[in-house]
Amino acid sequence: MSVTSGAAPRRAADGPPERFPGFDVLEQSGHWDAVTSGVVLSRVGMPPDIRFFTPAEQAVATALCDRLLGQPDEDDGTGTRLPLVNLIDARLAEHRTDGWHYHDMPTDAQAWRDTLAALDADAQEQYGTGFATCAHDEQTALIQAVQDLGSDPWHGLPAAHVWSLWTRYACTAFYSHPTAWNEIGFSGPAYPRGYKNIGVDRLEPYEVHDAIPSDDPLRRSR
Amino acid sequence: MSSVRDRNESAWLLPADGARTNHRLRHDMRRFDDTDEVDLVVVGCGAGGSTMIQRLARAGWRVVALDAGPFWDPDTDWVSDEAGSHHLYWTEPRVISGSDPVPLGSNNSGRGVGGSMVHYAGYTPRFHPSDFETYTRDGVGADWPIDYADLKPYYEAIEEELPVAGEEWPWGDPHSYPYRPHPVGGNGEIFLRGAEKLGVTAKVGPVAIVNGRFGNRAHCIYRGFCLQGCKVNAKASPLITHIPDALAHGAEVRANAMVTKIEVDERTGRATGVHYVRDGVSRFQRAAMVAVAGYSIETPRLLLNSACDRFPDGIGNDFDQVGRYLMVQGAPQTAGRFDAEVRMYKAPPPEVSTEAFYETDPSKPYQRGFSIQTVSPLPITWAEHIAAQGHWGSDLREYMSDYVHWSCLGALCEFLAQPDNRVTLSDEKDRHGLPVAHFSYSQCDNDTQLMKAAQSVMEDILHAAGADEVITIDRYAHLVGGARMAADEQHGVVDADCRTFAVPNLYITDGSVLPTQGSANPALTIMSVAARAADRLARGARNGA
Ligand SMILES: Cc1cc2nc3c(=O)[nH]c(=O)nc-3n(C[C@H](O)[C@H](O)[C@H](O)COP(=O)(O)OP(=O)(O)OC[C@H]3O[C@@H](n4cnc5c(N)ncnc54)[C@H](O)[C@@H]3O)c2cc1C
Ligand code: SF4
Repeated sequence: MSVTSGAAPRRAADGPPERFPGFDVLEQSGHWDAVTSGVVLSRVGMPPDIRFFTPAEQAVATALCDRLLGQPDEDDGTGTRLPLVNLIDARLAEHRTDGWHYHDMPTDAQAWRDTLAALDADAQEQYGTGFATCAHDEQTALIQAVQDLGSDPWHGLPAAHVWSLWTRYACTAFYSHPTAWNEIGFSGPAYPRGYKNIGVDRLEPYEVHDAIPSDDPLRRSR
Repeated sequence: MSSVRDRNESAWLLPADGARTNHRLRHDMRRFDDTDEVDLVVVGCGAGGSTMIQRLARAGWRVVALDAGPFWDPDTDWVSDEAGSHHLYWTEPRVISGSDPVPLGSNNSGRGVGGSMVHYAGYTPRFHPSDFETYTRDGVGADWPIDYADLKPYYEAIEEELPVAGEEWPWGDPHSYPYRPHPVGGNGEIFLRGAEKLGVTAKVGPVAIVNGRFGNRAHCIYRGFCLQGCKVNAKASPLITHIPDALAHGAEVRANAMVTKIEVDERTGRATGVHYVRDGVSRFQRAAMVAVAGYSIETPRLLLNSACDRFPDGIGNDFDQVGRYLMVQGAPQTAGRFDAEVRMYKAPPPEVSTEAFYETDPSKPYQRGFSIQTVSPLPITWAEHIAAQGHWGSDLREYMSDYVHWSCLGALCEFLAQPDNRVTLSDEKDRHGLPVAHFSYSQCDNDTQLMKAAQSVMEDILHAAGADEVITIDRYAHLVGGARMAADEQHGVVDADCRTFAVPNLYITDGSVLPTQGSANPALTIMSVAARAADRLARGARNGA
């Protein structure tokens, strides 16, 4: 799986421009301790089978997570595509949740089921088809509508708490993956070697400088 | 004071060969029977509980500590990875509410031997003298039944045992640290640069991370995973700073033992031991004295779940004090963007602090204050910052790809203790069939003002350091209180020695007993309060009579 597909430095649809050319955190895996390697490399191998979501829920969750993290569709064949739903499903199936829940929300597992059904219902109502079969821009509009509600209710749940549930799980799945680390220049596990060069602009021999350091997304958006 | 090694040999009991656990010591650990009436059983083996058993085992007491979580081996149980460290947190069900509900889980309490200090950042500041009398000085919070001078010798002792590294400390009661400050990484460099430009004093430390060598503990390797458990044994947690010495002095640590109820004899009114579940089997450990140290949520929950005929509303709750005055610190984090590469994930997240805004400033509309420290979120936590700005989709990915350019500071705002911020029992049950904790939190006006003030100082520091953009996320940190120390039973649950007013041989020796929190990270104070309680017990009667 590679971070970018074409030669063009920027690809709006499928993720950010390649900022750390040639940086591949997995090349350092020989320097990791065995226990950490086991945990991290398992994410690179076969994704776990779906056990928690029903097929209908899986379809909605896949489209939702792909939109939340700007991933291309499966049949698109380009760009980064991480098995986010499998990773979330594994956590819910194994009760690897954070345990706590808001008093006005069900437990995380039930909240996932309820909100996926609600999102599908919104899609049916507005576009006459399930969420998974909506066009990308329709999916995006449906998701945006939930975010725009802020703390107002959505299908009886505070939208802000729904938003936090979705983004928490989706971001944790995505940024636990070495491919995502390559995209952001993060060096991953660092035991037992540690870092020798700490301080502003000081890199380890295997770290790669940002190729476009002044490409501040905030500045660009002004 | 005698040399550290004479008082606490833990660091010398760890292996010298690069392994992190002394398996022989654990294998040979003394083991008591449930039917042995031990001198003391401690519930929870974290900051407070571990200090208790180390001190009292040394004093010759027969002590057992029960912890709901595992007896960790850093070599095999911990990883150098963010998502892979989920098992370090207390993730049993809990319900949160209030106008400002506080998310728990990974940002909260730990489990297993070492407690939350396994994944705490490692900052170990002292409280200021003013923290012990905020009511008298500022008309807010509460006065403690002890003052700073009572704790000072224990602060000094624990600082040597952890041991703490840092610069000469100019705030509160000025003091120095046993170890020199660590070199700083990119994030610390930015903080120091910005503070200097702004004329704000900032100092390196105080962190409980070995700088040099200490016994058989290794020097920090600046790998940045302090919040995931230190595989190096460089960052202090009771697992390596107090448990080895406790075992060597005959204490038993019984892991994977979830305490479900404290038993009180209805006739004598004294605690007789604790019920616990281990490997699915319900058991009862007899003890002449019980100390609860399960963290600010589980401690009140256990007291409430231990209701009996004599205490129908929960042990120690005759005056409706259990679970109340729970505090969190407001912990907004502000990040700044630099064209240079900060790479804040290199070096420990705890590096540099300022306590220049800690005390009440009469020119401000709010009481009390805040401190500012480096925090250096790893990618998953950083994604929370970016998502909190409203970004998602390819937008989020682009912001995230900018990670190496960001520096991040965190404030700790002294939220005030309020009676309605509390733990009660929920209708929901855990897998043992016990009601889970319901934790409600709402900020008061002063709290909200402190959050804003802290954010603006952090923005100023980052701008002064050259940041072109800043973003802020509001968070909370460090729960304390919930079974507070007070002068009498109408205002709290325990006395100045951590003994419950209600049951003469029941103690609470964790963060729950703190009546105020200052804007300091609490672990050092929790350990010092427990060390003082243990010291008073060791000098006095064994049965707490
Ligand atoms: C991300 C993070 C960063 C932090 N950073 C810092 C920092 O830099 N500096 C600082 O000073 N503090 C920090 N803290 C806070 C600090 O770790 C805690 O305040 C402190 O450890 C609390 O001590 P305690 O004794 O009250 O409880 P803990 O240390 O949490 O110990 C409680 C123990 O009791 C056990 N237990 C609970 N209930 C039961 C039961 N029923 N039966 C048996 N066992 C039970 C638990 O398994 C646990 O091991 C941080 C916390 C977090 C979450
Ligand atoms: S940075 Fe240092 S103290 Fe922190 S986890 Fe790594 S080695 Fe341990």
